[in-house]
Order: sequence, then C-alpha cells, then structure tokens
Amino acid sequence: MTKAVRERPRGAALARRVAGHVVRGLVMIWVVATISFVIIREIPGDPVQGMYESLLQKGMSPDQAERATAVLYGFLPTGSLWDQYVGYMGSLLHLDLGRSLSTPGVKVTSLIGSAAQWTVLPVLAGTLLSFLLGVTMGVYAAIKRSGKLGDLLALSGSLLHGIPVYVIGLLLVAIFTTLWPILPSGGPVDVAFVPGFNPGYIGSLIHHAVLPVVTYTLASYGGWILAMKSNVVAVLGDDFILAAELRGLKRGIVFRYLARNAILPLFTILALSIGMLFGGSIFIEEIFNYPGLGLLLVNSISTRDYALMGGTFLVITVGIVVANIVADLLYTAIDPRVRSGEAS
Amino acid sequence: MSRDSAAPEVRIRDLTVVYNTPAGELPAVSHVSLTLTPGTITGVVGESGSGKSTLALSLLNAVQPPGRIAEGSVEIDGLGDVLRLDGEDLRRTRGRKVGYVFQAAQNSLNPLKTIGKQLLDLGRSHDVEDLRALVADAKALLSRMGLDGARVLDSHQHELSGGMRQRVGIMLALVLNAQVVVLDEPTTALDMITQATILRIIREVHEERALTTLVITHDVGAVAEVADDLAVMYGGRVVEHGPIAEVLGAPRHPYTQGLIRAIPRLSGDISLARALPGRPPTLGTLPAAGCVFRERCEKRMEICETVEPATATYDGRSVACHAAGRPAPVKRREYA
Ligand SMILES: Nc1ncnc2c1ncn2[C@@H]1O[C@H](COP(=O)(O)OP(=O)(O)OP(=O)(O)O)[C@@H](O)[C@H]1O
Ligand code: SF4
Ligand SMILES: [Mg+2]
Repeated sequence: MTKAVRERPRGAALARRVAGHVVRGLVMIWVVATISFVIIREIPGDPVQGMYESLLQKGMSPDQAERATAVLYGFLPTGSLWDQYVGYMGSLLHLDLGRSLSTPGVKVTSLIGSAAQWTVLPVLAGTLLSFLLGVTMGVYAAIKRSGKLGDLLALSGSLLHGIPVYVIGLLLVAIFTTLWPILPSGGPVDVAFVPGFNPGYIGSLIHHAVLPVVTYTLASYGGWILAMKSNVVAVLGDDFILAAELRGLKRGIVFRYLARNAILPLFTILALSIGMLFGGSIFIEEIFNYPGLGLLLVNSISTRDYALMGGTFLVITVGIVVANIVADLLYTAIDPRVRSGEAS
Repeated sequence: MSRDSAAPEVRIRDLTVVYNTPAGELPAVSHVSLTLTPGTITGVVGESGSGKSTLALSLLNAVQPPGRIAEGSVEIDGLGDVLRLDGEDLRRTRGRKVGYVFQAAQNSLNPLKTIGKQLLDLGRSHDVEDLRALVADAKALLSRMGLDGARVLDSHQHELSGGMRQRVGIMLALVLNAQVVVLDEPTTALDMITQATILRIIREVHEERALTTLVITHDVGAVAEVADDLAVMYGGRVVEHGPIAEVLGAPRHPYTQGLIRAIPRLSGDISLARALPGRPPTLGTLPAAGCVFRERCEKRMEICETVEPATATYDGRSVACHAAGRPAPVKRREYA
C-alpha cells in the first residue's frame, strides 16, 4: 500500500530528471550543429561557395550546380545565411548529413553508420573492463592502504591516470607489434577471412580489437582506481559502517554496504569517462588504423571533407549526450535518495 | 521475554584504553573498574571527552584505531572476557548478546537500503530463523516508541527525521533480545518530552526482559528518572559510582557535587545553579600524576598534587577522592 503511494512521486522525479537531460542534450547538439554549420560556411575559402563555383566553371548551369552542392552539404549554398541555416537544420531533422567529398557520392550518415561500431563497441568494452578492474583494485588499494600492495596499486593508478591516452597507445604499439610482435598492428580484421559468423573471422576481429580495447581500458583504469580508493576510504570512516559492525553483521554484508556506497558516486563520472574515451578515439584509431569515428573525423579534416567532419562531430556529441543519460539512469536506479527526488 | 533467564553481570576490571596521538599513547580510560549489577540500569554521566563512549565501545571490544585497549578485562556472565573474543565469536556477540546504540545513531544506517532490509540483514547475520517474527517484533518496538512500524521499515534513512533514526537505532539494539544493552546518548536528537518517553520505554523493555543496561548521557536529570545506579566519569576515571538516589542526593566526590550544582532541575533553584568552573580536560591536558580533577577542585589538598586517589567504598558507594573519607562538608546538607 504505502509502497504504491510513494512510487508515483519517485517516477515523476525520475521523469523530470530524464527530461532535464534530454533538454540539455538537445541544446548541446544544437550548439554543435550550429558550430559545424558556421565552420563549413564561414571558414576562409568557404568550401560551399568554392564547390558551387568550381561546378559552375565545369560548365554546369547555376541550377544544376546549386542542386549538386545541396546534395553534398545538405543545404543550398545560395540565399541569405539565415535561409541556408534553416535549410541545414531542416535536413538534420531528417537525419540527412549530406554527402562525403572524399568518398564521392556516399552519404555521410552511411559512412558514420559503418564507422560507429568500431568506436562504440571498443569504447564500451574498455569502459566496462576498466570499471571492473579499477573498482576491484580500488577496494584493495583502500583496504591495504597502509601496506606495500596498496601503495603499489595507488601508484599504478596515478601513473596511468597521468599518461595521455595517445602515449599509452603508442607504447602498446611499440611493445606488441614491434618489440614482441604478437598482435596485429592495424586494421579491424584480417582480409584473408570471409566476413560472417565463422570462427576465423570472429577470432581475427577479436585479435585486432585487443590493442584498442586495452588502450581504452588502461586510459580510464587510473581514474577508476583512484576514485574508488578514496571513496572506500571515505565510506570506511562513515558511522554506519562501524554501526553495522557493532550490530554484528556478517563480514560479507558489511562489505556489500561498503562497496555499494563507495561505487555509487562513480556513476556520476561514468559519462565523463565515456566521453573522454570517445575523444581519445581520435588518437587511438589513428594509431591502430582502426576504422571508427575518430579515424573518420581525422580523415575528414585532412581531406577537408567538411560535411563529413561536421556530421562526425555531431554524432560523437550525440554519443556523449546518450552516455550521460544512461549513466544518470543507472545512478538513479541504485541511489534511493535521488530516486525519491531529494538529492543528498 | 522470559523473566526467569537471569540477567548477566558485567564486570569491568582495571580497564585502560589509550589513543595514539602525536604526543604518544594517552589514556582515555584509565584503570576503570565497574560492575553492572544484573538486572539494573546503570547511568554514566560526565563531561564531553571524559571517556564515556570509549568505555562503552570497550564492552564490545570495538575500540577503533588509533585507539587500543591496553589492559583490563570485561567479563560478561555467559560470555567470558569479551576482550579475548575475536573473529566470528566476537561478531556473534555483537548485536546478539550485547545490543549497542551508537552515539551517532542518526547516522547508524546504510543510506542505500530500507530499514526493513537492514533489519533482515541483521536477522540473517545472527541466524534468526523466523524472520517474520523478527519483523513483527521490530514493528511492535517501533510503534511502542511512537512510530508507524510498517512505514518506517519501508523507508530509507533520508526519509526519516533525526529522532526517528535514533529510535530505529534503539529498535535494532533491542530486537534480537540481547541480554546486555549499551546505549550511548540514545536520546540526544529528541525533544524533552519524547526523550522522557523513550527512556521510559527503555526502562519498560529492560524490566520485561530482565536486561543489564548501560545508558550514557550528558543529561543527569533525564537519566535520574530511569537508572538504578549512576557512574560519574571524569578524565577517563569513574570517580563516583553507587545507587543513583544516593549519588545524586548526597554526592561525595567534589566533581559530582559540582556537576549537580550546575543543574537547576536538581539543585532546585535556578539562582543557586552554578556552572562548574574551568574546562573539561582533554587527553593532552590531563595531569600525569595526582588527582585528575585537582585543577578545578575546591577541596584539593597537598596530597592531591602527587598521589592519585584510590577508589574506596563508603556505605555502598565507591568514590575516588582523598577528601571523600573526611567529615562531610557543611554544604552537603543542600543535597540531602
Ligand atoms: N579517534 C580518536 N583519536 C584520538 N583521541 C580520541 C579519539 N576518540 C576519542 N579520543 C579522545 O578520547 C577521549 C574520550 O573520548 P570519548 O569519545 O570516549 O568521550 P565521551 O565522554 O564519549 O565524550 P562525548 O560526551 O563528547 O561523547 C577524548 O579526550 C577524546 O578526545
Ligand atoms: S582527590 Fe583532591 S583534588 Fe581530587 S577531587 Fe578529591 S580533593 Fe579534589
Ligand atoms: Mg561519547
């Protein structure tokens, strides 16, 4: 009875939180879209105008040239800046990001679609692995904090936390593909295998994913272990842990009280960490020649493929926004204080 | 519960607890000997820092680092010397044999779990077979203390007020039918009336179940209503201990006298109430030799500077003061 009565405000509070995130996320996406519009339209040597003019020079009629440019960039190159902006936003709403210049004629959305899996899966795998590893080691580092093992674990965390992600990537490449060549140095899969659900292909996929995933894992492991260690130390000092011991609760139960309370704040930085790895993919994928969004972005920049560049940027932004919402939902699911709408 | 199950006696002997400080290990409890008579409530009073909580934690062998029990024993009938227990034996004693209400009982709950689930954790930890009966007992205790048991069990800590949490803490200490119950300032977050009610309920439960109970408090007036015995602590020593009517009615130790004089409710007249001069000592300012109270004592003598007064018994009451055996001061009549 009482449960049902209290469930409703909880649901309402949850809906409010999610709505807040969605609104903030949409604003962020809008800002990034606007920035990419401005970049495409306003950088020196305006690529849209340049395209339009070169098509004219090739003998197209203004009408044809206009339409060809519109197809490429998703908006008409003529008319007032405002009209062009409205046109650009309109095509975004239809999930039309224009066509690529560097891979002529191919839709930006399909390029991004095929690249996304190579970034999203390794980033999520790296996040999960580093989270599990960092949290476990963080607990040990906290419990053994006055011993050598604890010192060593904390030191490993600080070190890895301080090393930029591309340095980790380069080191791993140097070690595992040159010094001790047991892993492939690049690409997503060995072309010798027939794509499909067969052991050879899957094995090769995994083999090629090891280095990127390990790099993502090491890049965020340091943050997790340090955060977890300090959370555990803080919770160990909380009165309710001593109270639980004074009530004679079983060690396993006290440990669960401790772990759950210490892990909880980590969910607030989960989204941050995923965002950081998405950003890191720009370096990692270049180093491992891995065909994800990061590499797509790098290539689009070097080939001045502005439509692709803007589109990729936008999709990475959407990824970060979604990660934020998911992390917050997870947090809400396990913190009763947030669930009932009173932030602690 | 069964009235026939005789309440256990608790014998604290020569207990010394030290805390490691920058100035070295300093005693927070020093050579305390105190017997809790079976079936009685003993009140412990003393200023902040006098070692009350440290003494209470020792009863569960739960002094926290940087503290350490340096010597002594705490014998509880049926359990032996608690200070020699460890591992599973110690864990099973805590909660099941000795119920404990933590000083900061408002913060004694896991913020992520409902009270009901924490109650079940408690039951499972102590192999309670009938968890339904446990929940029923918990609800009964809560409603006795003026709370809606079902609602409280379904709540998280943040949905309860400080006073409600404190009562939940008391419930959790009583619900397993421990025979010895230690309550460290169980009613601080409550208003005067609720405080009196809760202490009365503690007294009732204590009598129903034939417990041996220790209640620590700042408030001599509140404990006077429920306790049988009173122990007065100062600077890590029990300076006076005896039946509460006698200790309050005719205090022998100068500190007890000052303490009572400071309380209008007990001294009878606000104009006569006088604050105790000076400040309570801290671990660092406690004199190493002589009487710990001498700097604030009106009756101090030469011997007080160098020799720590031994505890002596005067008509059923133990007092640690060089002046206690001397003819009673004229002023004493005030309290008689
Ligand atoms: N963790 C600690 N480290 C160092 N000293 C401590 C520690 N805990 C307590 N002490 C010291 O031990 C002495 C006794 O503390 P204790 O908490 O037992 O006093 P108390 O009588 O319960 O006081 P209160 O009425 O404030 O609860 C105090 O001087 C205190 O400063
Ligand atoms: S021993 Fe001396 S200083 Fe201490 S309380 Fe007694 S008279 Fe006062
Ligand atoms: Mg205390």
